[in-house]
Amino acid sequence: MLQINNICTNYGAIEALRGVNLEANDGEITCLLGPNGAGKTTLMMTIMGILSPREGTIEFDGESIVDASSGVIIEKGLALVPENRLVFPEMDVRDNLLAGAYSRLAKEKAECLADIEEIYRRFPKLKEREKQFAGTLSGGEQQMLAVARALMSKPRLLLMDEPSLGLAPIIVEEIFQIIRDLHSDGTSILLVEQNAHMALQVADRFCLLDQGRVTFSGKPGQLEENELIKRAYLGASQDD
Amino acid sequence: MAADFIQNCLDGLMIGSSYSLLAIGFTLIFGVMRRLNLSYGPSIMLGAFLGTLVYLEFQAGNFVVALATVFGAIAAGIYVERVCFWAIRRGAAAASMVSSFAVWMQLEEIVTVFFPERTYSFPPMIEAEPITFGPFFLAVENVIMFGSAVLLTVLLHFCLYRTRFGLALRAVSENPRAAEFMGINIAAIMFGAFVAASAFGGVAAYLIISTDGQITPMFGLWATFKGLIAMMLGGMGSIPGAILGGLLLGVIESNSLWYLGAEYRDLSAYFVLFVFLVFRPGGIMGQLAVLREQAATRRV
Repeated sequence: MLQINNICTNYGAIEALRGVNLEANDGEITCLLGPNGAGKTTLMMTIMGILSPREGTIEFDGESIVDASSGVIIEKGLALVPENRLVFPEMDVRDNLLAGAYSRLAKEKAECLADIEEIYRRFPKLKEREKQFAGTLSGGEQQMLAVARALMSKPRLLLMDEPSLGLAPIIVEEIFQIIRDLHSDGTSILLVEQNAHMALQVADRFCLLDQGRVTFSGKPGQLEENELIKRAYLGASQDD
Repeated sequence: MAADFIQNCLDGLMIGSSYSLLAIGFTLIFGVMRRLNLSYGPSIMLGAFLGTLVYLEFQAGNFVVALATVFGAIAAGIYVERVCFWAIRRGAAAASMVSSFAVWMQLEEIVTVFFPERTYSFPPMIEAEPITFGPFFLAVENVIMFGSAVLLTVLLHFCLYRTRFGLALRAVSENPRAAEFMGINIAAIMFGAFVAASAFGGVAAYLIISTDGQITPMFGLWATFKGLIAMMLGGMGSIPGAILGGLLLGVIESNSLWYLGAEYRDLSAYFVLFVFLVFRPGGIMGQLAVLREQAATRRV
């Protein structure tokens, strides 16, 4: 579904990605683990067309999306739940959802409004908060809103950048339940996580990213737990 | 005594409504770009001179003059956007401010070259007796000014909260990075904000100058000052703030004109601005704008 080959991206003066190869398959949850600064967020921004790679190709359903604008990429069926949620704090919940549907709002307004009702059925808490500014929601509710906002563009592959960041364990559990539900409804997911323990419970396949390269790729259980934790949190660049 | 004060406040609100329009233009641009456009006043001044031109050369009617003013302001605004903002969008915010200052000088010189007599007459909007009620009176053109300002503000509110463009504009001004993640074309929205702001400025220019009956190239400086002060009083980047700031500035000016004399009119406006900057730097609408400014490191 998503095929990333030899992507190199600079972030400012830093060579953040140095030849990343990654694949996300239809109907699967692919999990990307790695320590801080490994380049996970840079990879998300490169896929979404915010940063242009210096080298490499990205194909979505066989079509190249390198150098396409984020608007075009969203129309093709990708959407991102950004790191730190980035909801629009002084817009109410409903307007945040509408903003998520921006790419198709001009053509299919009626469907967008119907989809908001659908989102409210799925996340009743957002219905309760409909008229509230997003900035007044709790961290967990904001994360829920960020996911719902991304779903408003009807993505076939949902990118999630550290959805558990800064949330209490019980809320993290809730967020992962949402991920499981989305998966069982047929949405493919590329999940970036720090929380390796939780992520591997839902992942079909996972990759380790370290210092801008993928250092391991396989199924959960293929790597011994101690080794995995070490490499996911601390990196394993001693062999470089 | 009380009657004087009320009359002053009425006059101040009328004049202040045009300051509000100028401040809305400033704040639209600042809200979306997080950059200051010093060339705002001069670009609408250029529009007003286009209006003067069609009046002097073709004896055009009021409506055509107004249209030419707005059109000229939008054209000059687009020029400023391309040169000072689009061309250096990845540069520092100060670079935009400094180059908008340079374009300001440029626009003033252009006008001086083509309109060497400096002061030109501008057709009055309407000639009518003031409206009186009890001890108070209001000039008809001021009432039209106020009414137009209200109408435009309502229109803007509708645009911001009921249209797709407004949704995108609000999203970009709250968080450009997140807006980009939604597939919003930031450059297009900024361009649109500039056009809208210039249109507001053009209308304000027409209302103010046709009330005065004359125009000079100094109008650019004057409009930048009034808009900037009104915006800062209200709170940078806040539209309700711009409206309140403009009205407040008008009331301060008309009262100090009456009680202290003409030479204290601008001085008292600056004094109030100074007090605000020291004690409430976020302006009337609170610290919101200050906080946003701190968060604006996530700029495009």
